[in-house]
Amino acid sequence: MTKQQANWSPYDNNGGSCVAIAGADYCVIAADTRMSTGYNILTRDYSKICKLADKCVMASSGFQADVRALQKQLAARHLIYQHQHNKQMSCPAMAQLLSNTLYYKRFFPYYSFNVLGGLDNEGKGCVFTYDAVGSYEKVGYSSQGSGSTLIMPFLDNQLKSPSPLLLPAQDAVTPLVEAEAIDLVKTVFASASERDIYTGDKLELVVVNAAGIRREYMELRKD
Amino acid sequence: MSIFEYNGSALIAMVGKNCFAIASDRRLGVQLQTIATDFQRIYKVHDRLFLGLSGLATDAQTLYQRLGFRHKLYQLREERDMKPETFANLVSAILYEKRFGPYFCQPVIAGLGDEDKPFICTMDSIGAKELAKDFVVAGTASESLYGACESMFKEGMEPEELFETVSQALLSSVDRDCLSGWGGHVYVVTSTEVKERILKGRMD
Repeated sequence: MTKQQANWSPYDNNGGSCVAIAGADYCVIAADTRMSTGYNILTRDYSKICKLADKCVMASSGFQADVRALQKQLAARHLIYQHQHNKQMSCPAMAQLLSNTLYYKRFFPYYSFNVLGGLDNEGKGCVFTYDAVGSYEKVGYSSQGSGSTLIMPFLDNQLKSPSPLLLPAQDAVTPLVEAEAIDLVKTVFASASERDIYTGDKLELVVVNAAGIRREYMELRKD
Repeated sequence: MSIFEYNGSALIAMVGKNCFAIASDRRLGVQLQTIATDFQRIYKVHDRLFLGLSGLATDAQTLYQRLGFRHKLYQLREERDMKPETFANLVSAILYEKRFGPYFCQPVIAGLGDEDKPFICTMDSIGAKELAKDFVVAGTASESLYGACESMFKEGMEPEELFETVSQALLSSVDRDCLSGWGGHVYVVTSTEVKERILKGRMD
């Protein structure tokens, strides 16, 4: 008699793609708004982007129930930080907190693939990219989710982030201006929607700069 | 690990204005070990028809030997070269013959048909044809290739611009795939000439 295996999984994949690009004085974070399960669409209008702090925004794809729980956890810890330190958490600080929060559940992970974007203490754009258990890296740009294999090579071609191991240390920010970076993100999502069935419907684009946080939407293919 | 990922491969074919480009990576590996850095994946069937074979290398070589043989016989009988559409049908038939014990290959066919109209197509390992008007991709890096090609493709590119586009798309995509890379091999074919170029990219 063969071993009985469980056929119920606590996880599901709701699909979708996220992208973030860091600039000299801005950061663009974007994600599509389609939420799916298997070959079905649950909704065309679901936001995968969450504002964690004044200058810190997170986009997450994967299992949205775990993403929601993670966002709730981070918001609670941020509130405590504000009570104790009388200031908002900086983006690098939030980056470390997210990593620790993810690793805390190393043996029953949050099925959440995150990109964190925002401005650091000097007002420069920064992007942090994560795996599901909290391994993270500061980069100039990143993508996660079902469309990431389609999007990443094109971003490499256009932006090429320097390795953090290089000496002398090179800047991770992109030479593009804000408008160019936004155009690049729109192009990339239009291409990903063509070939990835889980990406589409609408693109939600968030720009963080010295003036604050701005939100923009663009229609994508609905098929 | 899938049998299709045993050797590693990346293939693109793209349509331009009265021309086409077909390109491949050059790595031959045995799972994680690299065995050769100059492996040929694209074969010339005749001056205006090229065949790229991704997937298991031994099946790719055997398939090419069989197809080369069939084309030579056709040339003897018909006293002319095969049209790309006809060749695609031949490949499809030969693959489907092995429906329940297939060749583990995904072919990419590119040629110039009547009136120098470029023709590209790909098929799965049992011969299901996919005709495309813009580009086709195959290999372990296929998802990355789809993304890069979709973003970079423009209609009606001249041969020089087509070469640039195909090269950039190929190199960016294989850089995100551990099983393909070690440079590139690009053929740009117009009605008058065939330009073969070797690309140097990340050698890993």
